[in-house]
Amino acid sequence: MNIREYISSGILEAYALGELSEQERSEVEHHLAGSPELRAELDQIEQVQEKLLQHTAIRPRDAVKTQIFARIDGLAPAGKVVSMPSSDTTMWKFVTAASVTVALVSSYLAYNYYDKWKSSQGELTELMAQNERVAGDYNRVNQRLDKIESDIHIIHNPAFKRVALKGTPNAPASLAYVYWNEDTREVYLSLQEMKQLAQENQYQLWAIIDGKPVDAGVFDAGIPGGLLKMKEISTGATLFAVTVEPRGGKPTPTLETMQVAGPVEKG
Amino acid sequence: MSGFITSFPTTDQTAQVFFILLSSLLSHQTTLSINTFPNHIAEVELVRRLRAKDRAALEYLYDHYSAALYGAIFRIIQKEAISEEVLQDVFLKIWDKFEYYDASKGKLFTWLLNIARNQAIDKTRSREISKDRKTRDIQNVVSRIDNEAYIEQRVDGIGVKDILKDLPKEQHFIVEHLYLKGYTQSELAEEFNIPLGTVKTRLRLAMQQLRTTLGVTTT
Repeated sequence: MNIREYISSGILEAYALGELSEQERSEVEHHLAGSPELRAELDQIEQVQEKLLQHTAIRPRDAVKTQIFARIDGLAPAGKVVSMPSSDTTMWKFVTAASVTVALVSSYLAYNYYDKWKSSQGELTELMAQNERVAGDYNRVNQRLDKIESDIHIIHNPAFKRVALKGTPNAPASLAYVYWNEDTREVYLSLQEMKQLAQENQYQLWAIIDGKPVDAGVFDAGIPGGLLKMKEISTGATLFAVTVEPRGGKPTPTLETMQVAGPVEKG
Repeated sequence: MSGFITSFPTTDQTAQVFFILLSSLLSHQTTLSINTFPNHIAEVELVRRLRAKDRAALEYLYDHYSAALYGAIFRIIQKEAISEEVLQDVFLKIWDKFEYYDASKGKLFTWLLNIARNQAIDKTRSREISKDRKTRDIQNVVSRIDNEAYIEQRVDGIGVKDILKDLPKEQHFIVEHLYLKGYTQSELAEEFNIPLGTVKTRLRLAMQQLRTTLGVTTT
């Protein structure tokens, strides 16, 4: 090997910088052992390099030294250099502990509130249903009240003539009242005592005008609800009567089934 | 010790008191070791004592070489906190692996420098921080480095610029990038399109010239 050529390739400088491959490196080391000239050359290169680096040195912060020796003495874990070594780790312990505690407490509270929220949700649904029922009841009561008020208004209205329909020999105990306003032709029926009929039959109200029966509508007994509004009847009715007819009524009354009847009082 | 701390739920003050105690303890040890260690010791003696895991020898090593190594590390990494971490790791490695140092293969400082550079280069690769390195965006710390006042231990009072001023331009460029800007030879070759062989021979010529400038003589 030509040592001069080997040296002038700059391989020793690269060696000193630690930039050779494993193979080149062991080759240089091998030659170094056998060549004092090569060794002397390397020595000079190393000296230049060391001086150059001492000239361009940067003093690290004092805390770095403290930290390194704390690590060597086994006092501190590896890590960033801080002005107060390991205060970080101490603080971190507490920060971690605090975080874990907060997380646990939060989870518990979250579960707790979720539970409460769920049962509240159930109660709320129930209350809303109840509220709806109450509102429904109220509406029905209100409607009935309205009905009763308007019934009372009809009953006390002097424009309405009250016709008492009394029981015939067919049904001596039966009783009903007709309220008839001759001007507006409105007819209302109030059942006092009328027995229930079979499913296929219905009562039918008739008004007798000029001796002829006029249909005033059908009705059922046993249905509560105050006055029943019947068909309008014009002036001239002298008598009201109720017969039993097939469901839906008939154009002409079956007289032999007459239940109640009563004359319209003059005046 | 840490048990002592954890049992005291911890105001900052408790922690502070602890660290004042800790650092005074450490600095006390430092003073002791300096007293028992001569200002200058031969490299052979230093190596022998380091091999024997002499803590005071490591402190001597730190006091004499940490700045030179930190300079090399910082120029590669460019970030103060990470550079400090790397310097720590380097000294821990030196301490743990000192039996691998072989004086027949080179001077102690060369070995230290190689560990430091390798560690720093590994770090840049693992953290991908080398990417913005060459863009040279001037951060606070970088500007501190570029400022010559920050460069220390100029024993003979000659500045880096003075040392390099006699070099031909192309050699100046090579030395500057390898030793002052933290490039490796292959990075330099690749980035500036210079054949690797040329990088090597230019460095060779520059290092020969610097022997005169730096007063290095044959031993």
